[in-house]
Amino acid sequence: MQDIRKPMGINWIGLGTIVRREVSRMMRVPIQAFIAPWISALLFIFIFGFVVGGRIATIGGVRYLEFVLPGILMMNVVNAAFLQSSSAIYFSRFIKFVEEILVSPLSYWEMIAGSLSVVVLRASITGVGILVMGLFFGAVHIQSFPLFLFWVVSVSAVFGLLGIIVGLWSKSFEQLNMPVVFFLTPLSMVGGVFNTVEMLPTWLRWLAWSNPFFYFINGIRGAMIGVDETPPGLGEGLTLLMLAILSVTVWRMYAKGYGLRE
Amino acid sequence: MLTPALKITNLRKVYRRGNVAVDDLSLTVEEGDFFGFLGPNGAGKSTTIHCITGIAEPTSGSIEIFGLDAVKNYREARRLVGLCTQEFNVDPFATGRQIVDWMGGYFGMRAAERKSRIDYLMERFELGPHEKKSFRELSGGLKRRVILARALVNDPKLLILDEPTAGVDVELRRILWRYLQEINGDGRTILLTSHYLEEVERLCRDIAIVNKGKIVRQGTKDEIAGAPGGLEEAYLAVTGAQAEHVAGQ
Repeated sequence: MQDIRKPMGINWIGLGTIVRREVSRMMRVPIQAFIAPWISALLFIFIFGFVVGGRIATIGGVRYLEFVLPGILMMNVVNAAFLQSSSAIYFSRFIKFVEEILVSPLSYWEMIAGSLSVVVLRASITGVGILVMGLFFGAVHIQSFPLFLFWVVSVSAVFGLLGIIVGLWSKSFEQLNMPVVFFLTPLSMVGGVFNTVEMLPTWLRWLAWSNPFFYFINGIRGAMIGVDETPPGLGEGLTLLMLAILSVTVWRMYAKGYGLRE
Repeated sequence: MLTPALKITNLRKVYRRGNVAVDDLSLTVEEGDFFGFLGPNGAGKSTTIHCITGIAEPTSGSIEIFGLDAVKNYREARRLVGLCTQEFNVDPFATGRQIVDWMGGYFGMRAAERKSRIDYLMERFELGPHEKKSFRELSGGLKRRVILARALVNDPKLLILDEPTAGVDVELRRILWRYLQEINGDGRTILLTSHYLEEVERLCRDIAIVNKGKIVRQGTKDEIAGAPGGLEEAYLAVTGAQAEHVAGQ
């Protein structure tokens, strides 16, 4: 007989069910989830890497195409991660099926971990697709696979958490899209995808150093082609710090029921 | 003495805009009871249910489910509860079977256990031919059956039904009544809200009537419905509703 007072351990099946449910939702919209970012990445690779890059000798000692590929990959990882978690949480609030999770014996960490697992999965599939495209252009190098994995997983988790915050905060689809339009796209574009900090005028370099996207793009570029413009460990440290702050923030929002409970 | 299935003490719920939905509500439902929770629209029934199940945060007061604090020990407490919501709060693109299966998964049920339980519920609620249709393709009655099956998937010790027969046909109502009486006979505790007074009279042993967030009458069915005029008169007397209004429902 079930001892009702026995404290529950980790609800692995519940956590796995969140993943199953979200994967099912994601697979209903494969064009939006994967095809669109892959086409966009292909165009970036072709135009900036191949057409424009063909007229640039080398940058940081490598072909321009090899230089921009990590940045293009990271931009799409960021977008995939953010869109996955923000749309999932907002849609579930909008339709109210988030209540299924609220009435279940799931801890807040399990709810968050379930969502983030799907975020990392979607971002990784997006990234792998872009790497495959890069292979056709002979532009894929991975100098440190553990570091490459660290950047893909940690950055997707950071933007997955940010997506959850925005998904909980938004009261309309308009609000849900605001961060993409005003922050994600502009900051990723000027975050060093297409240029090194050295190529910027001296007076403008502070802009790159103060842009978190710069560290993510620079980090994955270091893992892929060894071109790293920041002191060792700085980008990794900042990313882990962001991850910790955002994790605590999201946990507190869940515990308080912000955007979830009446 | 047995631990009550549900014990609510001085529950108060004030929404953000200052609307007091539940005000100092206390209620005890004994294990194995079939309890009717009545009241007009906006009386605080659904809010109370939402506080019990974690959909809403109580402002003050306490809720115990089989002796477990529904806020502090929320995971252990929720494991014992099944909720049939008034609204269709599901992913409309998912199939009926998926919806029930996911709920079983959230409750930590293993795949084989879920499969046999869902097969049983699909058959019991005659959902078999429709289980692979997306929820939005189903008729109102079939949607209600899916919501019921979802509430029952974890075989809860305390089943909370928030207007489960609103807008459903006679056939489903009878299937549901039979099933509820059966599981109540097996010892399951049931809390039922309904606007159909004859349904409450037929099924429930104890009744509480809530109005403007407060319990205004509570007792056994015989105590409340036994007086001349029956449950309807008793209900009208304490809620101040018009007879035509109730009859219309």
